[in-house]
Amino acid sequence: MMKLLITALVVFVVVLIMLSSFLFTVDETEQVVVQRFGEIRRVITEPGLYFKQPFIENVTRFDRRIQLYDIPTERIYTMDKKTLLVDTYAMWRIEDAELFVMTMRTVNNALTRIDDVVYSNVRNVFGKVDFDDIISEKRSELLETVTDQARAEVKQFGIDLVSVRVKRADLPDENREAVFERMRSERIREAGLIRAEGEREATEIRAEADKEAQLIIAEATKQAQILRGQGDADSLTIFASAYSQDPEFFEFLKRMEVYETSLIDSVFVLTPEMEFIERFLSDN
Amino acid sequence: MDERDFFGEEKGQVFKKVPKFVIVLVFLGAVAIYFATGLFVVGPAEVGLVKIFGKHTSTATPGLNYHLPFPIGSVVVVNTASLRKEEIGFETVAPGRYITVERESLMLTGDNNIVSVELVVQYYVSEPEKYAFGVIPDTDIIKFTSEAILREEVAAGTMDAVLTVERDTISARVAERIQMEFDFMDIGLQIQNVYMQEVSPPRQIIAAFDDVNNARQDRTKFTNDAERYRNDVVPRARGEAASITRAAEAYAAQKVLAATGETERFLNMLREYETAPEITRTRLYLEMLDNVLSNSTKTVVTGAEGLIRFLDLTPEERGH
Repeated sequence: MMKLLITALVVFVVVLIMLSSFLFTVDETEQVVVQRFGEIRRVITEPGLYFKQPFIENVTRFDRRIQLYDIPTERIYTMDKKTLLVDTYAMWRIEDAELFVMTMRTVNNALTRIDDVVYSNVRNVFGKVDFDDIISEKRSELLETVTDQARAEVKQFGIDLVSVRVKRADLPDENREAVFERMRSERIREAGLIRAEGEREATEIRAEADKEAQLIIAEATKQAQILRGQGDADSLTIFASAYSQDPEFFEFLKRMEVYETSLIDSVFVLTPEMEFIERFLSDN
Repeated sequence: MDERDFFGEEKGQVFKKVPKFVIVLVFLGAVAIYFATGLFVVGPAEVGLVKIFGKHTSTATPGLNYHLPFPIGSVVVVNTASLRKEEIGFETVAPGRYITVERESLMLTGDNNIVSVELVVQYYVSEPEKYAFGVIPDTDIIKFTSEAILREEVAAGTMDAVLTVERDTISARVAERIQMEFDFMDIGLQIQNVYMQEVSPPRQIIAAFDDVNNARQDRTKFTNDAERYRNDVVPRARGEAASITRAAEAYAAQKVLAATGETERFLNMLREYETAPEITRTRLYLEMLDNVLSNSTKTVVTGAEGLIRFLDLTPEERGH
């Protein structure tokens, strides 16, 4: 019994080892190149279980998924002699594994090649336009040109360049400081303008108020003069209509008044020729 | 030497003592454990993609499931309901605590200014096969794509627009374009939402931006002060105007009243005079004379010679 079990176990393991030397699987995410002493025999892109000749054929697995390559930041000079730090990345996949193995052999070689191709295309395309075009909606167009050109160049290596994009396009530190300084001074100017505008409005309101107040006083003064004049005129009318009833008597009365007010406290020398004294003397 | 023999004997004895059925049990147990490698659990809102020899053959629903044992079968479990998130321009260090990542957040606008933008991209797996077999786990593809598109969109607008009115437009455009990119790559992802978090001027110059707001406040304050001045000065003037007018009215009324009084007196006297003109005239004359003379110094002279003497005029003053 014991021996039977142990024998079964050993046989199972041996069979597994033998199977693994001429069977292999291809995953959904993979593609496989089968080589015999370096000669490419088959390329398998469909997942599943496959046979190979043991020991003389070997398999190389490659990813079938989209791969990301973050290209180091590059300094680019635009046509208008400005400097831009451009951080690009490329998305790529191995499209033709046979071609890929023949030309690139390894993924690392491929990355170096993608780096070279993308870098030179980014330089070429961005170097022929002005800074403002890169920092604008034109960027997408430019990148499409870069992608198209680079894609055509790497196609011969079995690589499909899905897209090239600029993750960041930044100014070098020294230029960035200058931009900050400009933005700051723009804001300071704006703030100054707003305050001055506020002061202008305030002065206007005050002046308007002063004017209004002065006009109110002037209008009242005018009205007052009219009222006073009216009063004076009315009183004159009243006097005239009364005194005209007997001007002679009015004159008499006035004269009496004048005598009374102007001759009072005077020194009178009374002579006998005066009727008043004559009568006084004769009465006595 | 003795000790080693002793132990060897002991081992052999223990092995021989184990009953056969135990060994069979252990063997069966091992076989059971081997087949149990095919058991797997699919949680709610997950799907299990079952593969045989690397090829996707069936899709398992939530619950306890079984696939052929290793190395024949395998499974990839994908969550299709949970929202996945990429943060651009900041990092969540703990729930509710964030730090800004300036390297990502600062970006150029179309008018050559720099703004700080923080964005959250929420997405989920809509097609698990495409996602599981098309995307390398822990790749930066989604983050890089979002970042690149965000920067392109921000670069298309002016700083003022990005900081104010275009915020929502930009996040909508970014969402739309990331989705287009996902569809183009065919990786089974669906954008749920793109949120603009903090959109602000760069930290280095935020004080200057704040000062613009302060200036707006100042401006309002200036005009409010001036309004207050107006509200003080104008009513005061109205009051003064009323007083000027009233004074004039009083003057006019007083003038008329005085005239009326005076003429009334005259008319009364006239009426009296008309009934006896001569008598009244004489009476008024004598009354006047009385009043004047009684309040004056009087000298009575009886002859012209006396007058000269009385006045004591010197010959020079007499003229001759």
